[in-house]
Amino acid sequence: MSYYTLALCASKGAFEAIPLPKLSLDLADAKRRLETAGIGVTDARVMLIAAMEREVTLSRDGRVLIKSLDADEAARVFDKLRRVIGLPDVSSAPAAPG
Amino acid sequence: MSRGVMLMSGGIDSPVALHFMLRQGHEMTCVHMDNRPFTDDSPLAKVVDHLELLRVRYNQKIPLVLLPHGPTQIKLMRETDRHVGCVLCRRFMWRSAERLAVREGATFLATGESLGQVASQTLSNMRTATASVSLPIVRPLIGFDKSEIETVAKSIGTYGISTRPGLCCQAVPSKPATRSNLVQIAAEEERIDVDQMLDDVLRHATVL
Repeated sequence: MSYYTLALCASKGAFEAIPLPKLSLDLADAKRRLETAGIGVTDARVMLIAAMEREVTLSRDGRVLIKSLDADEAARVFDKLRRVIGLPDVSSAPAAPG
Repeated sequence: MSRGVMLMSGGIDSPVALHFMLRQGHEMTCVHMDNRPFTDDSPLAKVVDHLELLRVRYNQKIPLVLLPHGPTQIKLMRETDRHVGCVLCRRFMWRSAERLAVREGATFLATGESLGQVASQTLSNMRTATASVSLPIVRPLIGFDKSEIETVAKSIGTYGISTRPGLCCQAVPSKPATRSNLVQIAAEEERIDVDQMLDDVLRHATVL
């Protein structure tokens, strides 16, 4: 079962949600869903850049980067993104093996 | 002394390289490739602060030109092989800087590169990247190791600015090529209109 952690990225410039294991997202479908929800999207083929409350980068492997340094705001934005495109919820524990 | 164009990233190395160029008495125009939306505002803010500090230290104006690089990155990501994305990106940075240099009457380009730190700085990739330009390239830090560069950065006061929190480039592929060749790169650039893209970059130049 996939899950995300939401934490400051290595350079401490944004919050990052990382799926484990990696996902294989249909970015075209994600783009459609975001646009249907009224969210502007820049399509860079291997990633989408979504103009949400804070700018969000969504990679094909499910990695999400939220350009905010506020943990609560990042969690809010991620939760909205998750619901719009159907990503797994945040979890603090790794999935059981096998 | 001569006039050059210096590529400034906001990182640790480029302000140190600029310091050495200014110390030698060269007249430098700085260029920052604005990589938003693949980064945030922090690299530009760092470059602005680096230049404020070095302007005071050397009592010089040191112009800063901001060139848009995000649209180039999007085009490269859409149209070319991601594996060599960093090399293609660097070639655009060099070409943009060279065009600016010609416009400004500068006779050389300069950068804070040193050998082997990251994928874009292997000898193979440096050669492929810089084959896109004909002006001479000065690399004051080429033989320095990271700790030596950091020591100088601390002594001139730029280290604290460089190491503030910031967002790394999101356009870097998961497995960037550490070797590349010009035949492969030329084939990738056949897919895009390089001259048109450079025209767009220079048309949107902003002097800060």
